[in-house]
Amino acid sequence: MNSLNRFLTISTTDADDIRRRRILNILVMSIVALSLLAIVISLVSVYFKAIAWENVDLIVIGSLTTILGMLLVYSINTRFSGRIAAVIFLVFLTIVFAFSDTPQQVSGGRSLFGFAIPIIMASILLVPWSSFVFSSISGIIVSVLALSVNSVPNSPAIIGFFVIALVSWLSSRSLEQALKELRTINANLDHVVIERTKALAESLERERIEAGRSQAILNSIADGVVVFDTSWNAILANPALTGMLDLPLELIVDKNFRDLIEHPKLSPRSRTLLRAMMEYDTQPPSFRIEWDQKTLSISAAQVYDYTKDRFANIGTVTVFRDFTREAEVEKLKSTFVAIVSHELRTPLNAILGYAEMFKEAVYGPMNDKQINMSERIMKNTQRLLGLINDLLDQAQMEAGKLTIQMAPVRPAELLENLHSILDQSAHDKNLKLTSEIDDSLPEVLNGDAARLHQILLNLVSNSIKFTEHGIVHVRLFSPYRNRWGIEVSDSGSGIPESEIPYIFDTFRQVEGTTTRVHGGFGLGLSIVKQLVHLMDGDINVKSKTDVGSMFTITLPLVIPEENIEKWRIG
Amino acid sequence: MSELALIIEDDEDLASIFAEALRGVGFEVEIIADGQAAQERLQNGIVPFLILLDMHLPHISGADLLTNIIKKEDQFSKTIVIITTADARMGEAYNEEVDFVMIKPISFVQLRDLTSRLKPKG
Repeated sequence: MNSLNRFLTISTTDADDIRRRRILNILVMSIVALSLLAIVISLVSVYFKAIAWENVDLIVIGSLTTILGMLLVYSINTRFSGRIAAVIFLVFLTIVFAFSDTPQQVSGGRSLFGFAIPIIMASILLVPWSSFVFSSISGIIVSVLALSVNSVPNSPAIIGFFVIALVSWLSSRSLEQALKELRTINANLDHVVIERTKALAESLERERIEAGRSQAILNSIADGVVVFDTSWNAILANPALTGMLDLPLELIVDKNFRDLIEHPKLSPRSRTLLRAMMEYDTQPPSFRIEWDQKTLSISAAQVYDYTKDRFANIGTVTVFRDFTREAEVEKLKSTFVAIVSHELRTPLNAILGYAEMFKEAVYGPMNDKQINMSERIMKNTQRLLGLINDLLDQAQMEAGKLTIQMAPVRPAELLENLHSILDQSAHDKNLKLTSEIDDSLPEVLNGDAARLHQILLNLVSNSIKFTEHGIVHVRLFSPYRNRWGIEVSDSGSGIPESEIPYIFDTFRQVEGTTTRVHGGFGLGLSIVKQLVHLMDGDINVKSKTDVGSMFTITLPLVIPEENIEKWRIG
Repeated sequence: MSELALIIEDDEDLASIFAEALRGVGFEVEIIADGQAAQERLQNGIVPFLILLDMHLPHISGADLLTNIIKKEDQFSKTIVIITTADARMGEAYNEEVDFVMIKPISFVQLRDLTSRLKPKG
């Protein structure tokens, strides 16, 4: 079929020309085939004596002549020009039809129809309007033949030729126009395809460059980065991570996080933390794990992508940072704090003890000045101890080591302890230290006694420090069903309004000068605030210069199980 | 004969202050500065009326002495035990197990007044 196709097709660039010459070739070949068939049938008939040679000699000679003519047309058509070949072919066909029968039959009888064939073919093989040329030729031939036999030219037949020419002209023309339009559409389509392909190639290239850049950035980040899909399969990781974990990339990427968590280099505690990270959507902003000899800080964040008109969670990006050095420093710091705490407090305790022994005249009577001096030693030692405690608390809080331990606490006991410690200081300044417990408060509640004591001590000693005359009053109460509060008010110097936002800051006292007047690091209120927050409470302050200040703390009120019934009945 | 008070405290100054307070009340005082020595002494049959035990000691900690000997052996069932510690949390933790918990810094007067109340009259 392919070879036949090649045989029929002419290589040229004009699509219409190709089409026409191809049709001509097909016609030529069909005629050759028919002629061959006629020769074969004639010869076979003669051979079997069905018919005499004299009857078929013209058919055989005519067919052979036709074959030769067709081969000529074919070679002109394929090698030289389709138009000339088509003209020769059509003229040949017309002549054949003109002499195919008696002039009477051709001009007005049974063979008249034969002329329609070249007329129609002309519009197909040449330009559409050429059908008119051949209808004219056919008309002339028919007229001449009619005149030659003394007959009147067949005018309806000639008009018929022109009608056929008109119809084939119209159909060929519309066919050619349709083809032309189709070609234009095709050409446009090709153009669009080329443009689109180019744009696609460009965007792919851009994407490749972009991806390459992102990868380069990822590769040069000092922190380890690993991205997981929603099923916790690692989809990408950077070299920093492989260095940090001392694992090849193949053991991280395309693996599930669960496999990594089971790695023996991971400490059991860290395993629990990482499992929690996988299981719960809400993770702490960052936490630490121990991997081999290293401490790594991990922060994880969900990745959201805006697709299909909504944000969808597409996975988690996890950043690992080597925290080994920082962890060592922190450990050193907490060891240091522990040592300092013990080593500083012990000698201070001794100083305090010896001073007390002087005051108590253990080794014989002392005069007033000596007693007064021992009292001053004691007071200063107490102050120093207080400062050390504040510093240690602050250090512990910064390290996140300070925890709240809840146990049943009696509010009344808190106040008793407070009085036993601060009554003397208040008395020394001629101040009245008073306290009350509202009926709204239960007898026992859950709290951290030591820390509550510390809060009270800090607030009340602060008030005593800044009050020159009048009273310091402490009230314990319950504003709502599930809250309880501590209120410390004084008739002291008050806090300027501009300073109120800063009074809970670390190492701060109101105005630069007061530090020197009153001493201290300015840590007291900062510690109180941090403790209150650790207990899920709030602290507020109201103050008016030269009128006084009032600190109010509210804390969650939880009554110990065993006291609930009693409280309800009470 | 006056009752024996055993002070187990590694800081020499604190031990001497505590001793002075207890002597002032009328106790006979013995000081041991080391956990190991204290363990040997207690296992040698000595049964003090009162033990003032520091929780932080060299070699054997006060906590171990308390758990492994003082609370275990029957002969100490009547001994009054006061522990001293700088760690308020630790103090709370042992509150139920001992008679008294004193958080450092410990006042001479406080210790003297407490022990004088504990000492039998006569």
